[in-house]
Amino acid sequence: MKAVDKLSENILDKLSIDFLRNQVLKNAYGNNDTVIAAMDPRILIVWYLFFGLVPWFVSDLPFLLGCFLLVTVTTILARVAGLVLFLFGLGVFSQTGYLLVVTWLFGGDASAIAPLLILTLKVATVSLASVTVFSGMDPDKLASGLMWFGCPEQLSFSISYAYRMLPILMEEFQNVLLSYRLRGAPPAHDDLPGKIKYLIYQVRIIIYAFYPLMLNTAKRSRTTVEVLEIKGYRYAAVNKEVRKLKLSALKVTNNDLLFLSVSFLWVAAAIFVSTML
Amino acid sequence: MHAIEIDHLTYSYPGAAQPALRDITVNIEQGDFLAIVGNNGCGKSTFCKTLNGLIPQFISGALEGRVLACGLDTRKSDVGALARKVGYVYQDFENQIIRPTVLDDASYACQNYAMADYRERGRAALAQCGLQGKENDFIWQLSGGQTHLLALAGAVSLQPDVLILDEPIAQLDPAHADRIYAVLRRLNEEYGKTIIVIEHHTEYIADFCKHVMLLKEGRVQWVLPTEEALQRVEELQSCNIFPPQVTIAAWRISREAGRAERLPTTVEEGKAFFAPKARPEPLPPARRPGQGETVAAFQNVSVAYRSVKGNPHKVFDGLTLDIRKGDKVALIGSNGAGKSTFMKLMVGLLKPSEGSVWLNGRDLHDVRPEALSRQISMVYQNPEDMFIKDSIEKDIAYAMEVRGVPDAAARTRRLLERFRLAGLRERDGRLLSGGQMRRASLAIGVALDPGILLLDEPTANLDIATRKEIMRTLEELKEITETVVIATHDMQLVCEWAERIIVLCGGRVAADGSRDEIFGDRALIEQVGIRPPEIFTMGQAMDPAALCYTIDDFLRRFEGRQPV
Repeated sequence: MKAVDKLSENILDKLSIDFLRNQVLKNAYGNNDTVIAAMDPRILIVWYLFFGLVPWFVSDLPFLLGCFLLVTVTTILARVAGLVLFLFGLGVFSQTGYLLVVTWLFGGDASAIAPLLILTLKVATVSLASVTVFSGMDPDKLASGLMWFGCPEQLSFSISYAYRMLPILMEEFQNVLLSYRLRGAPPAHDDLPGKIKYLIYQVRIIIYAFYPLMLNTAKRSRTTVEVLEIKGYRYAAVNKEVRKLKLSALKVTNNDLLFLSVSFLWVAAAIFVSTML
Repeated sequence: MHAIEIDHLTYSYPGAAQPALRDITVNIEQGDFLAIVGNNGCGKSTFCKTLNGLIPQFISGALEGRVLACGLDTRKSDVGALARKVGYVYQDFENQIIRPTVLDDASYACQNYAMADYRERGRAALAQCGLQGKENDFIWQLSGGQTHLLALAGAVSLQPDVLILDEPIAQLDPAHADRIYAVLRRLNEEYGKTIIVIEHHTEYIADFCKHVMLLKEGRVQWVLPTEEALQRVEELQSCNIFPPQVTIAAWRISREAGRAERLPTTVEEGKAFFAPKARPEPLPPARRPGQGETVAAFQNVSVAYRSVKGNPHKVFDGLTLDIRKGDKVALIGSNGAGKSTFMKLMVGLLKPSEGSVWLNGRDLHDVRPEALSRQISMVYQNPEDMFIKDSIEKDIAYAMEVRGVPDAAARTRRLLERFRLAGLRERDGRLLSGGQMRRASLAIGVALDPGILLLDEPTANLDIATRKEIMRTLEELKEITETVVIATHDMQLVCEWAERIIVLCGGRVAADGSRDEIFGDRALIEQVGIRPPEIFTMGQAMDPAALCYTIDDFLRRFEGRQPV
């Protein structure tokens, strides 16, 4: 009852679209001056390939704990927005964390807890590594990094164009939603059935609001398409020179190497500890 | 040397029955600053798109004749080669920005054309357009004027000889508009660029352009030096072009006197033309602010926005204000003075962090905006965001239908007629012209017959003829809705429509009063950066005590100098 109550109040008000927008923007644009954001995207992608894959295949507790601590530190360094961390917490808990807690509460012994702890650590490590890389790096950089690894030009263009359009689209979405809100008549919501109806009503207008948003975007893209032609987008997509030019901006610095070495040493230490035990 | 040579150009869009451009033969000199004027739909944008090869290379259709841009035949050269000769800035310039940060966008074209020094070129273009120091900003941090300059820099970065701008200042406040034109003048004089603008604002044409080209139904009527072009008041007006107010005033005087003389086009020239009347006619009585009961009140309101980076941004700091029944308020102030925030507070979308907002005697703190929609309504600056259904008829009916208003269908029909939309009822709002879109959004705004109506920049982004039409509609609106608040930069609208003017500055009310109290206060005008209509400035230049808001007012006090 309480939960439905809260949720129904919250969707449009307390956890407002304005708040969401602010969090998304913070995440995409607000942390471009962190240690992580200054790194070379290729290094980070390689780094991610390790911490995003290896933990799945290893079940050694000290090793996983070591990795987990490391990615926690990088997540802090990346100054990830609160909402993303909250979603991360929720995700881990809903996957395995709740099993761990339940087992614990009902007096499961070490033999039951250990495997669950390992599974939780795996999920947490991999998620935090993803959060570090995808949320800590600005999408534009990520796009050039992916291009270096041979992803098609169109993909990296889409990522960086989405990055440019995001704030505008969110603002427009907010306005369309306002139109629905101000002109619509929400169902009365004093009792429980009313509140559930109200919740459904809100979710429905959020879905409806996408339709005008898409039409507005389509209208906007007429000019954009012509501009891309003038600015030589088609020419660049097939030209090797341009690709080289775009990638020449990427540079591996001492910081990147330092970051890799520290990660490497830390993991080596974790493995060492695990063999000693 | 001609920058552009056009020889018997005729062009039709694919599938169109009538050609959009008919048999145009014209040359544009290197180093010219040319204004293209003409009615809506006379082919101005189409003409400009033939100059950079978008027509016929990208937009197909039937093209006859020949266009040479800087010596390149637009039919035989590809768009890329032409882009380096002819730059283009669109009217909806926001959509021209492709990249997330300023320097990236300015150098994007150079990078695409594989120029190794693309960053330096981008930087140079930003410097030429007055955007130094903004290189690393995100594009959404820029103001409207800066965004336009960035779009210009993107075109300038390829160092073309010719720059075309489609209505460069339609969306900007006067301070930003001045800046754009100052940059264009510099590009023209210092860097020798040929500038072509599609422009409705004849005051700017008079101040900046060298030649004017009139297009009518796809044909070039004439190309004349600006001085001479603006003398043709009647012909221009028949094409919905309105010469500067000073010129119109002078034209009316000389027409009455039956004289044919050279008309002034700027305030400076006007000083030599006009003289105060010996016996000035009385001005119509000034409209006084309403004295009705208070319908909305701000008490010591403070608001701050969360910002993406750094500390929250404080918009209002202890704002206190009453709106009374029957008020026709214009809310003015520079960009970012909090006009939109003011409106959001009034409809309950935003709650103040301190203080309280009252509407019809009720504190809005715990009230949902949905509950207020019969008392107060808001029309956004961007009408597209108000169209949530697939026809304007459904859009107008929506709020009434969901509330079960008994005669919703009949009322919708009446509103469609009242706002001259009956013939368009089936159309999607997004696909209407600027003026129609604006009228539709007004009809949606008054559908529930609210006591208070808030309008955010209702005349922004419209050409002058449409603007006049919307101003008429707003005048009619005074009879429909009791209390109206308009947030605007458009001083002509403020002067002709408003009965009470509120000036916001630095999070507070800087001034509040009738138009005489606001526009008569020179210190205030300077401080807040308000630009009165040209005719007002003209009157002040002749006599500092003169407060003439319209051409009619002006003609009651001034006449032509007697020829010696």
